[in-house]
Amino acid sequence: MGVVKAARESEDLRDPAYLKIRDVIYQVSGIYQPEEKLYLLASRCARRMSAVSAKSPAEYLERLTARGNREEELRLLLNEITIGETYMFRSQPQIEALRNVILPQILKAKSAMGFKRLHLWSAGCSTGEEPYTLAMFLLEESEKMLAGWTFDILATDLNDRSLTAAKAGIYGEYALRSTSPLLRKKYFRPYDDKQLQATDQLKSMIRFDRVNLNDDSKMTFLKGMDLIFCCNVLIYFDLGSKRKVMQHFHSNLLPGGYLFLGHAESLYQVDDRFHLVHFPGAIGYWKPPVGYTSGGKP
Amino acid sequence: MSPHKLEEIRPQVKALEAMPAVPAIVLPLTAMLQLPSDQVDVDKVVELVSYDGTIAAHCLRMANSPLFGRGNTETVRSAVLALGLKRIEAILLGCCLNRIVPPDKWALDAVTFWRHSLGCALVSRKMAKLIGYPDPEKAYLAGLLHDLGILVNTLACTEDFRRCIQAAREGHVALHRSEEEHLGFTHCQSGKILAEHWHFPADVTEVIEFHHDVVAPRGGPLVPLVRLSDLLCRVRDLGYGYYEAMGVDFAGDSAWATLVEHYPALANMDLARLTMDVDGAMGEIVAVVDAVFKP
Repeated sequence: MGVVKAARESEDLRDPAYLKIRDVIYQVSGIYQPEEKLYLLASRCARRMSAVSAKSPAEYLERLTARGNREEELRLLLNEITIGETYMFRSQPQIEALRNVILPQILKAKSAMGFKRLHLWSAGCSTGEEPYTLAMFLLEESEKMLAGWTFDILATDLNDRSLTAAKAGIYGEYALRSTSPLLRKKYFRPYDDKQLQATDQLKSMIRFDRVNLNDDSKMTFLKGMDLIFCCNVLIYFDLGSKRKVMQHFHSNLLPGGYLFLGHAESLYQVDDRFHLVHFPGAIGYWKPPVGYTSGGKP
Repeated sequence: MSPHKLEEIRPQVKALEAMPAVPAIVLPLTAMLQLPSDQVDVDKVVELVSYDGTIAAHCLRMANSPLFGRGNTETVRSAVLALGLKRIEAILLGCCLNRIVPPDKWALDAVTFWRHSLGCALVSRKMAKLIGYPDPEKAYLAGLLHDLGILVNTLACTEDFRRCIQAAREGHVALHRSEEEHLGFTHCQSGKILAEHWHFPADVTEVIEFHHDVVAPRGGPLVPLVRLSDLLCRVRDLGYGYYEAMGVDFAGDSAWATLVEHYPALANMDLARLTMDVDGAMGEIVAVVDAVFKP
Protein backbone atom coordinates (compact mmCIF):
# COMPACT_ATOMS: atom_id res chain seq x y z
CA MET A 1 0.00 0.00 0.00
CA GLY A 2 2.82 2.36 0.95
CA VAL A 3 4.43 1.98 -2.45
CA VAL A 4 1.19 2.65 -4.30
CA LYS A 5 0.49 5.66 -2.14
CA ALA A 6 3.96 7.08 -2.69
CA ALA A 7 3.66 6.60 -6.44
CA ARG A 8 0.27 8.27 -6.48
CA GLU A 9 1.45 11.17 -4.41
CA SER A 10 4.51 11.53 -6.57
CA GLU A 11 2.23 12.51 -9.40
CA ASP A 12 1.07 15.50 -7.42
CA LEU A 13 3.38 18.00 -9.04
CA ARG A 14 1.99 20.88 -7.07
CA ASP A 15 3.95 19.61 -4.10
CA PRO A 16 6.63 22.27 -3.51
CA ALA A 17 8.99 19.52 -2.31
CA TYR A 18 9.65 18.65 -5.95
CA LEU A 19 11.00 22.11 -6.65
CA LYS A 20 13.27 21.72 -3.63
CA ILE A 21 14.41 18.28 -4.80
CA ARG A 22 15.05 19.79 -8.24
CA ASP A 23 17.18 22.53 -6.66
CA VAL A 24 19.16 20.05 -4.54
CA ILE A 25 19.94 17.98 -7.63
CA TYR A 26 20.91 21.08 -9.58
CA GLN A 27 23.18 22.34 -6.83
CA VAL A 28 24.93 19.04 -6.38
CA SER A 29 25.07 17.66 -9.91
CA GLY A 30 24.36 20.52 -12.32
CA ILE A 31 21.42 18.59 -13.78
CA TYR A 32 18.48 20.93 -14.23
CA GLN A 33 14.80 20.18 -14.80
CA PRO A 34 12.68 23.19 -15.85
CA GLU A 35 9.29 23.42 -14.15
CA GLU A 36 7.52 22.09 -17.21
CA LYS A 37 9.57 18.89 -16.97
CA LEU A 38 9.04 18.28 -13.25
CA TYR A 39 6.82 15.34 -14.09
CA LEU A 40 9.91 13.51 -15.35
CA LEU A 41 11.70 14.18 -12.10
CA ALA A 42 8.64 13.07 -10.17
CA SER A 43 8.48 9.74 -11.96
CA ARG A 44 12.18 9.10 -11.27
CA CYS A 45 11.71 10.08 -7.64
CA ALA A 46 8.72 7.76 -7.39
CA ARG A 47 10.96 4.72 -7.92
CA ARG A 48 13.41 5.81 -5.24
CA MET A 49 10.54 6.76 -2.92
CA SER A 50 9.13 3.25 -3.24
CA ALA A 51 12.55 1.76 -2.61
CA VAL A 52 13.06 3.68 0.61
CA SER A 53 9.34 3.66 1.56
CA ALA A 54 9.09 7.43 1.66
CA LYS A 55 5.42 8.36 1.91
CA SER A 56 5.63 11.84 0.41
CA PRO A 57 8.02 13.96 -1.65
CA ALA A 58 8.69 15.98 1.50
CA GLU A 59 9.72 12.85 3.38
CA TYR A 60 11.95 11.84 0.51
CA LEU A 61 13.49 15.32 0.38
CA GLU A 62 14.32 14.94 4.06
CA ARG A 63 16.08 11.66 3.34
CA LEU A 64 17.89 13.23 0.42
CA THR A 65 19.28 16.03 2.55
CA ALA A 66 19.80 14.30 5.89
CA ARG A 67 23.35 13.53 6.88
CA GLY A 68 24.38 9.92 6.74
CA ASN A 69 22.50 8.68 3.70
CA ARG A 70 22.65 11.89 1.67
CA GLU A 71 25.46 10.93 -0.69
CA GLU A 72 24.33 7.39 -1.28
CA GLU A 73 20.71 8.37 -1.92
CA LEU A 74 21.74 11.17 -4.29
CA ARG A 75 23.87 8.76 -6.25
CA LEU A 76 20.97 6.32 -6.54
CA LEU A 77 18.57 9.08 -7.59
CA LEU A 78 21.04 10.36 -10.22
CA ASN A 79 21.29 6.80 -11.53
CA GLU A 80 17.51 6.81 -11.94
CA ILE A 81 17.56 10.21 -13.65
CA THR A 82 20.21 9.28 -16.20
CA ILE A 83 19.07 5.71 -16.78
CA GLY A 84 18.37 4.72 -20.36
CA GLU A 85 20.47 7.51 -21.78
CA THR A 86 23.03 5.23 -23.37
CA TYR A 87 22.23 3.93 -26.79
CA MET A 88 23.85 4.64 -30.13
CA PHE A 89 22.82 7.75 -32.06
CA ARG A 90 20.86 8.85 -29.01
CA SER A 91 21.10 12.48 -30.08
CA GLN A 92 20.55 12.91 -33.79
CA PRO A 93 20.53 16.73 -33.43
CA GLN A 94 24.02 16.51 -31.91
CA ILE A 95 25.23 14.50 -34.92
CA GLU A 96 23.59 17.04 -37.26
CA ALA A 97 25.30 19.90 -35.41
CA LEU A 98 28.65 18.09 -35.80
CA ARG A 99 28.03 17.53 -39.49
CA ASN A 100 26.59 20.92 -40.42
CA VAL A 101 28.17 23.44 -38.09
CA ILE A 102 30.95 22.21 -35.84
CA LEU A 103 33.10 20.04 -38.08
CA PRO A 104 33.04 22.50 -41.01
CA GLN A 105 34.17 25.20 -38.53
CA ILE A 106 36.96 23.06 -37.05
CA LEU A 107 38.12 21.63 -40.40
CA LYS A 108 38.38 25.13 -41.85
CA ALA A 109 40.43 26.43 -38.94
CA LYS A 110 42.71 23.37 -38.83
CA SER A 111 43.35 23.15 -42.54
CA ALA A 112 44.28 26.85 -42.54
CA MET A 113 47.11 25.81 -40.22
CA GLY A 114 48.00 22.79 -42.32
CA PHE A 115 46.56 20.16 -39.96
CA LYS A 116 44.60 17.19 -41.29
CA ARG A 117 43.92 15.15 -38.17
CA LEU A 118 41.03 15.21 -35.71
CA HIS A 119 41.16 14.12 -32.08
CA LEU A 120 37.98 13.13 -30.24
CA TRP A 121 37.61 11.98 -26.67
CA SER A 122 34.70 10.22 -25.09
CA ALA A 123 35.40 10.82 -21.39
CA GLY A 124 33.33 8.42 -19.32
CA CYS A 125 32.44 6.20 -22.26
CA SER A 126 30.68 3.59 -20.11
CA THR A 127 29.90 0.53 -22.26
CA GLY A 128 31.01 2.18 -25.49
CA GLU A 129 27.83 3.36 -27.21
CA GLU A 130 29.10 6.91 -27.59
CA PRO A 131 32.55 6.23 -29.09
CA TYR A 132 31.11 3.66 -31.52
CA THR A 133 28.50 6.23 -32.60
CA LEU A 134 31.24 8.79 -33.22
CA ALA A 135 33.35 6.22 -35.08
CA MET A 136 30.44 5.31 -37.38
CA PHE A 137 29.66 8.97 -38.01
CA LEU A 138 33.27 9.84 -38.85
CA LEU A 139 33.72 6.76 -41.06
CA GLU A 140 30.57 7.70 -42.95
CA GLU A 141 31.99 11.18 -43.49
CA SER A 142 35.46 9.95 -44.45
CA GLU A 143 34.58 9.89 -48.15
CA LYS A 144 32.80 13.26 -47.95
CA MET A 145 33.66 16.08 -45.60
CA LEU A 146 36.60 14.22 -44.08
CA ALA A 147 38.21 13.16 -47.36
CA GLY A 148 41.96 13.48 -46.85
CA TRP A 149 41.62 13.66 -43.07
CA THR A 150 42.49 11.15 -40.38
CA PHE A 151 40.98 10.92 -36.95
CA ASP A 152 41.32 9.11 -33.67
CA ILE A 153 38.86 8.52 -30.89
CA LEU A 154 39.97 8.06 -27.33
CA ALA A 155 37.38 6.38 -25.10
CA THR A 156 38.03 6.30 -21.38
CA ASP A 157 36.23 5.16 -18.27
CA LEU A 158 37.06 4.48 -14.67
CA ASN A 159 35.09 1.26 -14.49
CA ASP A 160 36.98 -1.84 -15.70
CA ARG A 161 33.80 -3.84 -16.27
CA SER A 162 32.36 -1.11 -18.50
CA LEU A 163 35.62 -0.88 -20.43
CA THR A 164 35.73 -4.65 -21.01
CA ALA A 165 32.18 -4.53 -22.34
CA ALA A 166 33.03 -1.51 -24.51
CA LYS A 167 36.05 -3.26 -26.01
CA ALA A 168 33.99 -6.37 -26.77
CA GLY A 169 31.48 -4.19 -28.63
CA ILE A 170 28.52 -6.58 -28.29
CA TYR A 171 25.12 -4.90 -28.29
CA GLY A 172 21.47 -5.83 -28.18
CA GLU A 173 18.38 -4.22 -29.64
CA TYR A 174 18.15 -1.44 -27.02
CA ALA A 175 21.62 -0.08 -27.75
CA LEU A 176 21.07 -0.31 -31.48
CA ARG A 177 17.50 0.96 -31.65
CA SER A 178 18.44 4.22 -33.37
CA THR A 179 21.11 2.70 -35.61
CA SER A 180 19.93 2.36 -39.21
CA PRO A 181 19.85 -1.10 -40.88
CA LEU A 182 22.49 0.17 -43.30
CA LEU A 183 24.95 1.07 -40.54
CA ARG A 184 24.21 -2.15 -38.64
CA LYS A 185 25.06 -4.13 -41.75
CA LYS A 186 28.19 -2.16 -42.48
CA TYR A 187 29.74 -1.96 -39.01
CA PHE A 188 28.38 -4.98 -37.10
CA ARG A 189 28.25 -8.73 -37.54
CA PRO A 190 25.91 -11.22 -35.84
CA TYR A 191 27.13 -12.36 -32.43
CA ASP A 192 24.24 -14.54 -31.29
CA ASP A 193 20.55 -14.60 -32.11
CA LYS A 194 19.88 -11.43 -30.15
CA GLN A 195 23.07 -9.43 -30.33
CA LEU A 196 25.47 -7.87 -32.81
CA GLN A 197 29.20 -7.26 -32.45
CA ALA A 198 31.20 -4.30 -33.78
CA THR A 199 33.46 -5.19 -36.71
CA ASP A 200 37.22 -5.04 -36.29
CA GLN A 201 37.31 -2.03 -38.61
CA LEU A 202 34.96 -0.12 -36.30
CA LYS A 203 36.82 -1.20 -33.18
CA SER A 204 40.15 -0.17 -34.66
CA MET A 205 38.98 3.46 -34.79
CA ILE A 206 38.82 3.65 -31.02
CA ARG A 207 41.50 3.47 -28.36
CA PHE A 208 40.07 2.37 -25.00
CA ASP A 209 41.86 3.31 -21.82
CA ARG A 210 41.15 3.44 -18.11
CA VAL A 211 41.31 7.05 -16.94
CA ASN A 212 40.21 8.52 -13.67
CA LEU A 213 39.14 12.10 -14.45
CA ASN A 214 40.41 13.05 -11.00
CA ASP A 215 43.88 11.79 -11.79
CA ASP A 216 45.89 14.93 -12.55
CA SER A 217 48.95 13.07 -13.78
CA LYS A 218 47.00 11.36 -16.57
CA MET A 219 44.72 14.28 -17.39
CA THR A 220 47.63 16.63 -17.95
CA PHE A 221 48.90 14.60 -20.89
CA LEU A 222 45.67 14.33 -22.88
CA LYS A 223 46.26 17.38 -25.05
CA GLY A 224 45.16 18.57 -28.46
CA MET A 225 41.50 17.47 -28.41
CA ASP A 226 39.04 18.94 -30.91
CA LEU A 227 35.95 17.50 -29.28
CA ILE A 228 35.33 16.11 -25.81
CA PHE A 229 32.15 14.25 -24.89
CA CYS A 230 31.48 13.84 -21.19
CA CYS A 231 27.89 12.84 -20.70
CA ASN A 232 26.41 12.45 -17.21
CA VAL A 233 29.78 11.85 -15.56
CA LEU A 234 30.48 15.12 -13.76
CA ILE A 235 27.08 14.98 -12.08
CA TYR A 236 28.53 12.53 -9.58
CA PHE A 237 31.47 14.84 -8.70
CA ASP A 238 31.55 17.44 -5.94
CA LEU A 239 32.02 21.07 -6.93
CA GLY A 240 35.77 21.11 -6.26
CA SER A 241 36.42 18.01 -8.38
CA LYS A 242 34.13 19.32 -11.12
CA ARG A 243 36.09 22.55 -11.30
CA LYS A 244 39.34 20.65 -11.46
CA VAL A 245 38.10 18.36 -14.25
CA MET A 246 36.81 21.36 -16.19
CA GLN A 247 40.18 23.04 -15.75
CA HIS A 248 41.72 19.97 -17.37
CA PHE A 249 39.13 19.75 -20.13
CA HIS A 250 39.78 23.39 -20.93
CA SER A 251 43.47 22.78 -21.41
CA ASN A 252 42.90 19.38 -23.10
CA LEU A 253 40.80 21.11 -25.77
CA LEU A 254 42.30 23.06 -28.64
CA PRO A 255 41.06 26.66 -28.98
CA GLY A 256 37.83 26.56 -30.99
CA GLY A 257 37.06 23.04 -29.71
CA TYR A 258 33.78 21.90 -28.19
CA LEU A 259 32.75 20.05 -25.06
CA PHE A 260 29.46 18.17 -24.89
CA LEU A 261 27.74 17.27 -21.62
CA GLY A 262 24.54 15.36 -20.90
CA HIS A 263 21.45 17.14 -22.20
CA ALA A 264 20.32 18.63 -18.89
CA GLU A 265 23.77 19.31 -17.41
CA SER A 266 25.02 22.84 -16.83
CA LEU A 267 28.41 24.37 -16.02
CA TYR A 268 27.06 27.24 -13.94
CA GLN A 269 29.53 28.20 -11.22
CA VAL A 270 31.77 25.38 -12.39
CA ASP A 271 33.54 27.07 -15.25
CA ASP A 272 32.77 30.32 -17.06
CA ARG A 273 35.42 30.17 -19.75
CA PHE A 274 33.30 28.05 -22.06
CA HIS A 275 30.53 29.60 -24.15
CA LEU A 276 27.20 27.81 -24.13
CA VAL A 277 26.20 27.38 -27.78
CA HIS A 278 22.75 26.30 -28.98
CA PHE A 279 22.53 24.27 -32.13
CA PRO A 280 19.25 23.10 -33.60
CA GLY A 281 18.11 20.65 -30.93
CA ALA A 282 21.46 20.39 -29.14
CA ILE A 283 23.76 22.28 -26.76
CA GLY A 284 27.55 22.43 -26.73
CA TYR A 285 30.25 24.29 -24.82
CA TRP A 286 32.75 26.16 -26.96
CA LYS A 287 36.31 27.10 -26.03
CA PRO A 288 36.84 30.47 -27.73
CA PRO A 289 40.20 31.01 -29.43
CA VAL A 290 42.67 33.32 -27.73
CA GLY A 291 41.83 36.96 -28.42
CA TYR A 292 38.18 36.21 -29.22
CA THR A 293 35.90 39.15 -28.48
CA SER A 294 32.16 38.73 -28.21
CA GLY A 295 29.73 39.95 -30.85
CA GLY A 296 29.95 39.88 -34.59
CA LYS A 297 29.31 36.17 -34.97
CA PRO A 298 26.68 35.43 -37.63
CA MET B 1 16.83 37.71 -61.88
CA SER B 2 17.70 41.30 -61.15
CA PRO B 3 17.68 42.09 -57.46
CA HIS B 4 14.74 44.14 -56.32
CA LYS B 5 15.64 47.45 -54.88
CA LEU B 6 13.86 48.41 -51.73
CA GLU B 7 12.61 51.60 -53.34
CA GLU B 8 10.88 49.60 -56.03
CA ILE B 9 8.66 47.80 -53.55
CA ARG B 10 7.85 50.90 -51.47
CA PRO B 11 4.77 51.83 -53.55
CA GLN B 12 3.60 48.22 -53.38
CA VAL B 13 3.87 48.24 -49.59
CA LYS B 14 1.84 51.42 -49.42
CA ALA B 15 -0.75 49.84 -51.71
CA LEU B 16 -1.30 47.17 -49.05
CA GLU B 17 -3.36 49.75 -47.23
CA ALA B 18 -5.99 49.53 -49.90
CA MET B 19 -6.57 45.85 -49.17
CA PRO B 20 -10.14 45.35 -47.98
CA ALA B 21 -10.86 45.09 -44.28
CA VAL B 22 -7.28 45.09 -43.09
CA PRO B 23 -6.44 48.63 -42.04
CA ALA B 24 -9.97 49.11 -40.71
CA ILE B 25 -9.07 46.72 -37.89
CA VAL B 26 -5.29 47.12 -37.70
CA LEU B 27 -5.21 50.87 -37.29
CA PRO B 28 -7.65 51.21 -34.37
CA LEU B 29 -6.02 48.19 -32.79
CA THR B 30 -2.53 49.63 -32.84
CA ALA B 31 -3.99 52.88 -31.54
CA MET B 32 -5.61 50.91 -28.70
CA LEU B 33 -2.32 49.19 -27.92
CA GLN B 34 -0.79 52.52 -27.10
CA LEU B 35 -3.48 53.37 -24.53
CA PRO B 36 -2.81 52.72 -20.85
CA SER B 37 -4.48 49.41 -20.00
CA ASP B 38 -7.00 51.02 -17.61
CA GLN B 39 -8.41 53.02 -20.49
CA VAL B 40 -9.11 50.01 -22.69
CA ASP B 41 -12.78 49.07 -22.79
CA VAL B 42 -13.08 45.34 -22.04
CA ASP B 43 -16.61 45.15 -23.43
CA LYS B 44 -15.42 46.63 -26.68
CA VAL B 45 -12.70 44.00 -26.95
CA VAL B 46 -15.16 41.19 -26.18
CA GLU B 47 -17.46 42.60 -28.84
CA LEU B 48 -14.64 42.74 -31.39
CA VAL B 49 -13.55 39.22 -30.63
CA SER B 50 -17.10 37.85 -30.75
CA TYR B 51 -17.67 39.58 -34.07
CA ASP B 52 -15.20 37.30 -35.79
CA GLY B 53 -15.66 33.54 -35.49
CA THR B 54 -12.06 32.64 -36.38
CA ILE B 55 -10.56 35.08 -33.93
CA ALA B 56 -12.95 33.99 -31.19
CA ALA B 57 -11.99 30.37 -31.81
CA HIS B 58 -8.28 31.21 -31.59
CA CYS B 59 -8.80 33.03 -28.31
CA LEU B 60 -10.77 30.14 -26.81
CA ARG B 61 -8.19 27.57 -27.88
CA MET B 62 -5.36 29.62 -26.51
CA ALA B 63 -7.14 30.39 -23.23
CA ASN B 64 -7.78 26.66 -22.79
CA SER B 65 -4.18 25.67 -23.39
CA PRO B 66 -2.04 24.52 -20.46
CA LEU B 67 0.33 27.44 -21.05
CA PHE B 68 -2.20 29.81 -19.57
CA GLY B 69 -3.21 27.40 -16.85
CA ARG B 70 -6.92 27.39 -17.69
CA GLY B 71 -8.94 24.37 -18.61
CA ASN B 72 -12.60 25.34 -18.78
CA THR B 73 -12.86 28.60 -20.66
CA GLU B 74 -16.13 28.40 -22.56
CA THR B 75 -17.19 31.96 -23.29
CA VAL B 76 -15.44 34.64 -25.28
CA ARG B 77 -15.66 36.92 -22.28
CA SER B 78 -13.90 34.49 -19.96
CA ALA B 79 -11.31 33.80 -22.66
CA VAL B 80 -10.61 37.53 -22.92
CA LEU B 81 -10.26 37.80 -19.16
CA ALA B 82 -8.07 34.68 -18.96
CA LEU B 83 -5.71 35.85 -21.68
CA GLY B 84 -5.54 39.48 -20.70
CA LEU B 85 -6.28 42.47 -22.89
CA LYS B 86 -2.87 42.98 -24.41
CA ARG B 87 -2.61 39.38 -25.49
CA ILE B 88 -6.08 39.53 -27.05
CA GLU B 89 -5.01 42.54 -29.03
CA ALA B 90 -1.94 40.68 -30.19
CA ILE B 91 -4.06 37.72 -31.30
CA LEU B 92 -6.43 40.05 -33.16
CA LEU B 93 -3.51 41.71 -34.85
CA GLY B 94 -1.97 38.38 -35.79
CA CYS B 95 -5.23 37.13 -37.27
CA CYS B 96 -5.76 40.34 -39.22
CA LEU B 97 -2.27 40.22 -40.64
CA ASN B 98 -2.78 36.59 -41.54
CA ARG B 99 -5.65 37.61 -43.78
CA ILE B 100 -3.71 40.06 -45.86
CA VAL B 101 -1.94 37.19 -47.60
CA PRO B 102 -4.15 35.32 -50.07
CA PRO B 103 -3.73 31.53 -49.66
CA ASP B 104 -2.05 31.09 -53.05
CA LYS B 105 0.59 33.74 -52.37
CA TRP B 106 2.32 32.20 -49.37
CA ALA B 107 6.02 31.64 -50.00
CA LEU B 108 6.85 30.27 -46.58
CA ASP B 109 3.77 28.27 -45.67
CA ALA B 110 1.31 30.06 -43.42
CA VAL B 111 1.42 27.57 -40.54
CA THR B 112 5.24 27.67 -40.42
CA PHE B 113 5.26 31.45 -40.46
CA TRP B 114 2.72 31.80 -37.67
CA ARG B 115 4.27 29.02 -35.62
CA HIS B 116 7.52 30.98 -35.71
CA SER B 117 5.85 34.34 -35.01
CA LEU B 118 3.65 33.12 -32.17
CA GLY B 119 6.51 30.98 -30.86
CA CYS B 120 8.77 34.01 -30.81
CA ALA B 121 6.03 36.02 -29.08
CA LEU B 122 5.66 33.43 -26.33
CA VAL B 123 9.42 32.98 -25.87
CA SER B 124 9.91 36.77 -25.78
CA ARG B 125 7.30 37.02 -23.04
CA LYS B 126 8.85 34.14 -21.10
CA MET B 127 12.32 35.64 -21.44
CA ALA B 128 11.02 39.12 -20.48
CA LYS B 129 9.65 37.68 -17.25
CA LEU B 130 12.83 35.73 -16.54
CA ILE B 131 15.11 38.73 -16.93
CA GLY B 132 12.78 41.26 -15.31
CA TYR B 133 11.83 43.31 -18.39
CA PRO B 134 8.93 45.45 -17.12
CA ASP B 135 6.42 44.93 -19.95
CA PRO B 136 6.23 41.22 -20.92
CA GLU B 137 3.13 41.79 -23.04
CA LYS B 138 4.96 44.39 -25.10
CA ALA B 139 7.68 41.80 -25.59
CA TYR B 140 4.97 39.36 -26.71
CA LEU B 141 3.64 41.82 -29.29
CA ALA B 142 7.11 42.66 -30.61
CA GLY B 143 7.90 38.96 -30.90
CA LEU B 144 4.67 38.35 -32.77
CA LEU B 145 5.35 41.13 -35.26
CA HIS B 146 9.14 40.97 -35.65
CA ASP B 147 8.93 39.25 -39.03
CA LEU B 148 6.26 41.54 -40.49
CA GLY B 149 8.59 42.07 -43.44
CA ILE B 150 8.18 38.44 -44.47
CA LEU B 151 4.51 39.21 -45.18
CA VAL B 152 5.58 42.28 -47.14
CA ASN B 153 8.04 40.28 -49.23
CA THR B 154 5.46 37.56 -49.75
CA LEU B 155 3.00 40.09 -51.18
CA ALA B 156 5.33 42.50 -52.93
CA CYS B 157 7.68 40.07 -54.68
CA THR B 158 6.12 36.63 -54.34
CA GLU B 159 8.09 34.69 -56.95
CA ASP B 160 11.50 36.16 -56.14
CA PHE B 161 10.84 35.61 -52.45
CA ARG B 162 9.90 31.98 -53.11
CA ARG B 163 13.22 31.45 -54.88
CA CYS B 164 14.96 33.17 -52.03
CA ILE B 165 13.39 30.78 -49.48
CA GLN B 166 14.24 27.81 -51.68
CA ALA B 167 17.89 28.91 -51.79
CA ALA B 168 17.95 29.37 -48.00
CA ARG B 169 16.45 25.90 -47.52
CA GLU B 170 18.95 24.25 -49.85
CA GLY B 171 21.97 26.08 -48.44
CA HIS B 172 20.86 25.72 -44.77
CA VAL B 173 21.43 29.47 -44.41
CA ALA B 174 19.52 32.17 -42.54
CA LEU B 175 16.63 33.68 -44.48
CA HIS B 176 17.87 37.27 -44.17
CA ARG B 177 21.22 36.24 -45.67
CA SER B 178 19.46 34.70 -48.63
CA GLU B 179 17.31 37.84 -48.98
CA GLU B 180 20.40 40.04 -49.06
CA GLU B 181 21.82 37.89 -51.81
CA HIS B 182 18.73 37.30 -53.92
CA LEU B 183 16.53 40.34 -53.30
CA GLY B 184 19.05 43.00 -52.40
CA PHE B 185 17.19 43.86 -49.18
CA THR B 186 15.87 41.99 -46.14
CA HIS B 187 12.50 41.56 -44.44
CA CYS B 188 13.82 43.91 -41.76
CA GLN B 189 13.92 46.79 -44.21
CA SER B 190 10.64 46.01 -45.96
CA GLY B 191 8.92 45.34 -42.61
CA LYS B 192 9.98 48.74 -41.35
CA ILE B 193 8.27 50.47 -44.28
CA LEU B 194 4.94 48.81 -43.48
CA ALA B 195 5.35 49.27 -39.71
CA GLU B 196 5.91 53.00 -40.15
CA HIS B 197 3.10 53.26 -42.65
CA TRP B 198 0.74 51.62 -40.15
CA HIS B 199 2.04 53.77 -37.30
CA PHE B 200 3.20 50.87 -35.16
CA PRO B 201 4.72 51.85 -31.79
CA ALA B 202 8.31 53.07 -32.23
CA ASP B 203 9.89 50.31 -30.13
CA VAL B 204 8.07 47.57 -32.04
CA THR B 205 9.19 49.14 -35.32
CA GLU B 206 12.77 49.09 -34.03
CA VAL B 207 12.46 45.37 -33.36
CA ILE B 208 11.17 44.80 -36.89
CA GLU B 209 14.07 46.78 -38.35
CA PHE B 210 17.01 45.70 -36.20
CA HIS B 211 16.37 42.12 -34.99
CA HIS B 212 19.03 40.69 -37.30
CA ASP B 213 21.69 43.30 -36.53
CA VAL B 214 24.74 41.62 -35.08
CA VAL B 215 26.87 44.64 -34.30
CA ALA B 216 25.89 47.50 -32.03
CA PRO B 217 22.13 46.88 -31.85
CA ARG B 218 20.18 50.12 -31.72
CA GLY B 219 17.12 50.95 -29.64
CA GLY B 220 16.03 49.80 -26.19
CA PRO B 221 16.22 46.36 -24.56
CA LEU B 222 13.29 45.11 -26.64
CA VAL B 223 15.46 44.65 -29.74
CA PRO B 224 18.06 42.32 -28.16
CA LEU B 225 15.33 40.52 -26.20
CA VAL B 226 13.37 39.63 -29.34
CA ARG B 227 16.56 38.95 -31.29
CA LEU B 228 17.61 36.29 -28.76
CA SER B 229 14.09 34.82 -28.62
CA ASP B 230 14.03 34.61 -32.41
CA LEU B 231 17.40 32.79 -32.38
CA LEU B 232 16.22 30.38 -29.68
CA CYS B 233 13.06 29.59 -31.64
CA ARG B 234 15.09 28.90 -34.75
CA VAL B 235 17.29 26.35 -32.96
CA ARG B 236 14.32 24.80 -31.16
CA ASP B 237 11.81 23.53 -33.70
CA LEU B 238 10.03 26.87 -34.09
CA GLY B 239 12.02 28.23 -37.02
CA TYR B 240 11.24 28.55 -40.68
CA GLY B 241 10.71 24.84 -41.24
CA TYR B 242 14.18 24.01 -42.53
CA TYR B 243 17.57 23.19 -40.99
CA GLU B 244 19.65 26.31 -40.41
CA ALA B 245 23.30 25.43 -39.94
CA MET B 246 24.01 27.69 -37.00
CA GLY B 247 25.17 27.84 -33.43
CA VAL B 248 23.72 30.46 -31.11
CA ASP B 249 26.21 31.70 -28.58
CA PHE B 250 24.31 33.97 -26.18
CA ALA B 251 27.39 35.09 -24.25
CA GLY B 252 29.14 35.87 -27.53
CA ASP B 253 26.14 37.65 -29.08
CA SER B 254 26.18 41.44 -28.95
CA ALA B 255 22.44 41.34 -28.15
CA TRP B 256 23.26 39.68 -24.83
CA ALA B 257 25.91 42.29 -24.09
CA THR B 258 23.31 45.02 -24.81
CA LEU B 259 20.76 43.37 -22.52
CA VAL B 260 23.37 43.19 -19.76
CA GLU B 261 23.94 46.93 -20.21
CA HIS B 262 20.24 47.49 -19.55
CA TYR B 263 20.01 44.90 -16.75
CA PRO B 264 23.46 44.63 -15.08
CA ALA B 265 22.23 41.81 -12.81
CA LEU B 266 22.09 39.61 -15.91
CA ALA B 267 25.88 39.45 -16.00
CA ASN B 268 25.70 36.92 -13.15
CA MET B 269 22.78 35.02 -14.54
CA ASP B 270 22.93 31.27 -15.03
CA LEU B 271 22.66 31.32 -18.81
CA ALA B 272 22.32 27.56 -19.15
CA ARG B 273 19.46 27.57 -16.69
CA LEU B 274 17.75 30.48 -18.46
CA THR B 275 17.94 28.71 -21.78
CA MET B 276 16.88 25.40 -20.26
CA ASP B 277 13.88 27.18 -18.70
CA VAL B 278 12.99 28.55 -22.11
CA ASP B 279 13.66 25.11 -23.60
CA GLY B 280 11.40 23.59 -20.96
CA ALA B 281 8.55 25.87 -22.01
CA MET B 282 9.20 25.14 -25.67
CA GLY B 283 7.21 21.89 -25.74
CA GLU B 284 4.12 23.64 -24.46
CA ILE B 285 4.71 26.59 -26.73
CA VAL B 286 4.79 24.25 -29.72
CA ALA B 287 1.54 22.71 -28.44
CA VAL B 288 -0.17 26.10 -28.13
CA VAL B 289 1.01 27.23 -31.53
CA ASP B 290 -0.19 24.01 -33.10
CA ALA B 291 -3.52 24.32 -31.28
CA VAL B 292 -3.97 27.77 -32.78
CA PHE B 293 -2.73 27.19 -36.29
CA LYS B 294 -3.36 23.58 -37.15
CA PRO B 295 -6.95 22.75 -38.06
